[in-house]
Amino acid sequence: MLERFTLSEKERAHKDLKFKQLEERYKDYSDPWGFNLNTVKQAMDVVYPLYKRYFRVRVFGLEHVAEEPYMVVSNHTGQVPIDGMLIATAFATELDKPRVVHSMIERFMAGLPFLGDISARAGSILGDRENCKWLLNKGESILVFPEGVRGINKSTQDFYKLQRFSHGFYRIALQSQTKILPISVIGAEEMFPFVFQAGGIGKKFGLPSLPITANLVPLPSPIDIYIGEPIEVSKDLSPEAPDKEIRPHVYNIEKIIKRNIHNGLQSRRKFFEWVRNPINILMNKTF
Amino acid sequence: MGSKSDQYIDEQDVLKTVLIIGISGGLAQLLAKLILKEKPHWKVIGVDSRSTSNVFKHKNLTSLRIRFSRGSFENLFRDHSFDYVYHLARISSATVYKDLTKRLELNVMGTNRILDLCYRFDVKKIVVLSTFHVYGALDDNGIFLKEDAPLRASIKYPELRDVVEMDQVCSNWMWKYQNEVDSVLLRPCNIIGSQIANTTSKFLMSQFALRPIDYNPVFQFIHEFDMAMVLFRALNDLPTGIYNVATDEFIPLRKALDTIGSKGIPFPITIASALNKILKLSNMEVPEYLIDYLKFSCLIDNSLLKDHLGEDPFRFNIKETLNLIRLN
Repeated sequence: MLERFTLSEKERAHKDLKFKQLEERYKDYSDPWGFNLNTVKQAMDVVYPLYKRYFRVRVFGLEHVAEEPYMVVSNHTGQVPIDGMLIATAFATELDKPRVVHSMIERFMAGLPFLGDISARAGSILGDRENCKWLLNKGESILVFPEGVRGINKSTQDFYKLQRFSHGFYRIALQSQTKILPISVIGAEEMFPFVFQAGGIGKKFGLPSLPITANLVPLPSPIDIYIGEPIEVSKDLSPEAPDKEIRPHVYNIEKIIKRNIHNGLQSRRKFFEWVRNPINILMNKTF
Repeated sequence: MGSKSDQYIDEQDVLKTVLIIGISGGLAQLLAKLILKEKPHWKVIGVDSRSTSNVFKHKNLTSLRIRFSRGSFENLFRDHSFDYVYHLARISSATVYKDLTKRLELNVMGTNRILDLCYRFDVKKIVVLSTFHVYGALDDNGIFLKEDAPLRASIKYPELRDVVEMDQVCSNWMWKYQNEVDSVLLRPCNIIGSQIANTTSKFLMSQFALRPIDYNPVFQFIHEFDMAMVLFRALNDLPTGIYNVATDEFIPLRKALDTIGSKGIPFPITIASALNKILKLSNMEVPEYLIDYLKFSCLIDNSLLKDHLGEDPFRFNIKETLNLIRLN
């Protein structure tokens, strides 16, 4: 089993090369959350084998990523934020000029011992408007999941149903005139194929959600990441415009991500039929 | 030979008298030295409710042990016609005054009295030293809090009520009397140095400092000399208002400890609160809010200060500041 995680020599060399490029890019960079290149390296050492061998990630649309800051906007799936980790790994290892994409994390996560610290050192930030502004001004890219916890914590019957996006990310993008890079992740829902959300009990313990799953370890569902074409934000709209004026623009982004999810589901790898088939039979529908 | 206007300024300068409240503190003495060096003809009166035996001697410096609630303190204002007053006598909860009621009396009522005396005796300018602790170290803090950010410290930590209330008393008073008295309220980040005996300096210098393994908050530090310089320049360069005081740089706590060469004791801060409760039984506890400052960052914005003092008003960068902490 272990050899499945062992990278080939070529893959190891690729990872090392990409880290060297990151090292060069971020040698003079520091941020007020404690970003640390050593932690990025340690994270890459752990995550990249999982990325290549366990989740066998494929990335489509890399040609859409230019050398400029983006508000990277993705659907959120899979009960635990592994999708964010895989998107960040894609940006750190697949681009010609790799970069650290800073994921926005929940307040709950930022306050946790160890996890909050490690994620901050690896480049994550608390989802806060000022934090985003600071990073975008530095030319950094931010990864946001506008569905929030609602997106990640879905029960089985709601897999791949995109939840309504919040508007905050678009207002920040408007303020800094940063392009939106839409991302659709396929395959993360099946990491935990049978889920029941015990949100009521979770709230009593101060947790944002409490998914009860059949498996504790995510299953090796193959992941596809689709990067859409960058979307320019409106030049005429104020960041403080009322929701009804922001909504059509956000809806447009939702539509693009939804379309890419739909297309991605048609062409995904037939790897985990033994997991998907029972779900399909159970739900009487095809994903 | 100076021009007529220069001579006029010099003659005006000769007549200035400054009151420094809290003169026994390291920062107050640095400030007094700076004033006496830069303005050799000024007269400085230093007062403190603690012993003033540690205060340096200078022909233009008079230091007195005096309680601010006494009539003799009021007489000082009557006798000296102070031009400028520095209030650097805020009492921290980490000191011997663990009783909140006592601190409220000294910090809030004491400050109120000082402000009242400044107004009654036509002081031209008062500079009050508050702290960035008023913002609170909370897990949802944004970065680089501006001066108008809510003061959330006392919501979570009742023991900081006096510090927040003192700050608010000053800011309310400032706007009420802005046409009568110039006033400046400074909220500095962690002031460190070999002469200032505050909790942060002691923590960093201790070989037994707890080194958090589960959190690594980002800190801002300012050297005590730089802070004294800001206090001094506040007289001429800062108009009435509230100012955060910090350099542009910041550093994660563990890296700061490494820079100083303090290994400390690796410790999970998550259990520090529980441990503190046990220590409380023997009256050895540390203030609860300080534990959260070892968990969560509280970074302040310095742009307003830089608007008035220039782009880089500080002498020491963060590495130098940390390295200098051990020097005497």
